Amino acid sequence: MTALSVEGVSKSFGGLRALSDVTFTVAEGETVGIMGANGAGKTTLFSLIAGHGRPTEGDIRLGERSLLGLSPDRICRLGIARTFQIVKPFGGLTVLDNVVVAALYGNADRPSQRDAEARGLAALTAVGLADRADGLAETLTLSGQKRLEVARAIATGARFLLLDEVMAGLTPPEVAEMLGLLDAVRRRHRLTLMVIEHVMKALMQLSDRILVLHHGELIATGAPAEIARDPTVLRVYYGEGA
Amino acid sequence: MIRSLALPILFGLAGLVLPFTGSSYLIGVGFALCCSIALVQSWTVLSAMTGYVSLGHAVFYGLGAYVVALSWGALPMPVGLLLAGGVAGVFALLVGMPVLRVRGPYFVILTFGLAELVKYLVIILESELGSFSRLMFGAPDLGVLYAIAFALAAIATAGALLIRRSRLGRGLLALRENEEAAETVGVPVVRLKLVAFALSAVIPGVVGGLAAMRTTYFEPMQAFDPTVSFTIVTMAVVGGSDDARGPLLGAAFFTILSEVLWARLPQVYMVVLGLLLILFVLFIPRGLAGIFAGRPGKAA
Ligand SMILES: Nc1ncnc2c1ncn2[C@@H]1O[C@H](COP(=O)(O)OP(=O)(O)OP(=O)(O)O)[C@@H](O)[C@H]1O
Ligand SMILES: [Mg+2]
Repeated sequence: MTALSVEGVSKSFGGLRALSDVTFTVAEGETVGIMGANGAGKTTLFSLIAGHGRPTEGDIRLGERSLLGLSPDRICRLGIARTFQIVKPFGGLTVLDNVVVAALYGNADRPSQRDAEARGLAALTAVGLADRADGLAETLTLSGQKRLEVARAIATGARFLLLDEVMAGLTPPEVAEMLGLLDAVRRRHRLTLMVIEHVMKALMQLSDRILVLHHGELIATGAPAEIARDPTVLRVYYGEGA
Repeated sequence: MIRSLALPILFGLAGLVLPFTGSSYLIGVGFALCCSIALVQSWTVLSAMTGYVSLGHAVFYGLGAYVVALSWGALPMPVGLLLAGGVAGVFALLVGMPVLRVRGPYFVILTFGLAELVKYLVIILESELGSFSRLMFGAPDLGVLYAIAFALAAIATAGALLIRRSRLGRGLLALRENEEAAETVGVPVVRLKLVAFALSAVIPGVVGGLAAMRTTYFEPMQAFDPTVSFTIVTMAVVGGSDDARGPLLGAAFFTILSEVLWARLPQVYMVVLGLLLILFVLFIPRGLAGIFAGRPGKAA
């Protein structure tokens, strides 16, 4: 069943066309990887889906419902949560308070504070941060803050997660750990994921399907193995002659 | 939790005992202290919890005073006071939408400018009406005013404590830390900021009305005096605004200070206010409450 459809979406910033005529769908339970060079428009795509900014053209729908014009908090309560490439923790709050507020406000069923605390703690446990619950979020390492981004998204109760480079800047063992926990979380909560990642091996391993953006255009889509030998992709990634 | 309640309870007990001294000087000082506590606690609901620092709370105070002055004699006193709070809250809701779109120093300046604008509008209105200051005959005596001020201080302190721990408070603290991230996890930031702004305006409106009764007249320059805004901010900074203790300490400190200074060197008061503000912002951002808690350093 189709969870999300992106239909003919373009986004211009002044003269710059960050996305042009991008169309694809994501099925429920699927993990879709997104690759593309710096500035290809990956983060812009996530921002538009999450309600930060409006497409210049096109439509984005969750099931049958158009998300255009909805505020980000509304979209979150409809079940889509994003993480930020440049982490945005609530630095002066404790790690636990970071996820409790996500549980309190992100869930459409309006949990009580006590309930939200339980859900928050579960999300921290899922990403391995439970032992840091009482520390201030700003004292976490980068790896910790990336995991907190994921925990916050999980705590909102969203079924659809947009993960923007949650492995960037991590050491190889940390990447392996993140891969493991993402896999566990998506199974347990039957999540649909869209994952932006430059760590190619990780992306290939995690994704059912990969979309390739290049200068704002969707130039290829297919299973990881197909993408790895797609001539267009090879050409833009490794230059002509490849 | 227990620790953070000790000081409010101590203040509360002192406030209950105070009238039995029978000293009108002490009760007068207590009245001023209670008004300050009510103002600063209200201010923290917006400014400490969301990070939107208002330098214009005098506008709510002034509007409250104006409402009470206008309704004097026409409405029973308690109704006038409630109306003062209501008008201040509604005014905050109306101007909040545009004003809360800007953050940081822009918000500070905008709130200050707004308060000045309203002050001059009221001055113009009053001169059109041919009234330059309104006398209020038959104001309640000091004991009654003190009792009301004490109740306001208690409500504001309890409110600040409760809000901080509530669902609303958690949302406000999150948006203070990062508005975009807060939105992304479902916090309706626009609505929450507006609610906080309105909540922080109501009690200052009532306090303004009460203060007008204390002086028994209304005069716009005095009712909308920006010193009220400066004093609130300075009390919050010096006392600290991380929890409900700070405003109590800040208000007490300045009430005592102004008793000492007003009597001898009234001109020096603003200078001392400024110096303390700079000193605390630079070196003791958590305020007196931070010193007591053993964490004078970095503010949250
Ligand atoms: N708010 C904005 N205003 C103006 N230009 C923007 C804005 N956001 C993104 N851009 C531009 O749009 C293009 C796409 O940016 P985007 O952040 O989506 O790329 P990306 O694929 O996520 O890149 P990276 O791998 O570096 O994260 C870039 O040229 C960027 O400079
Ligand atoms: Mg990006």
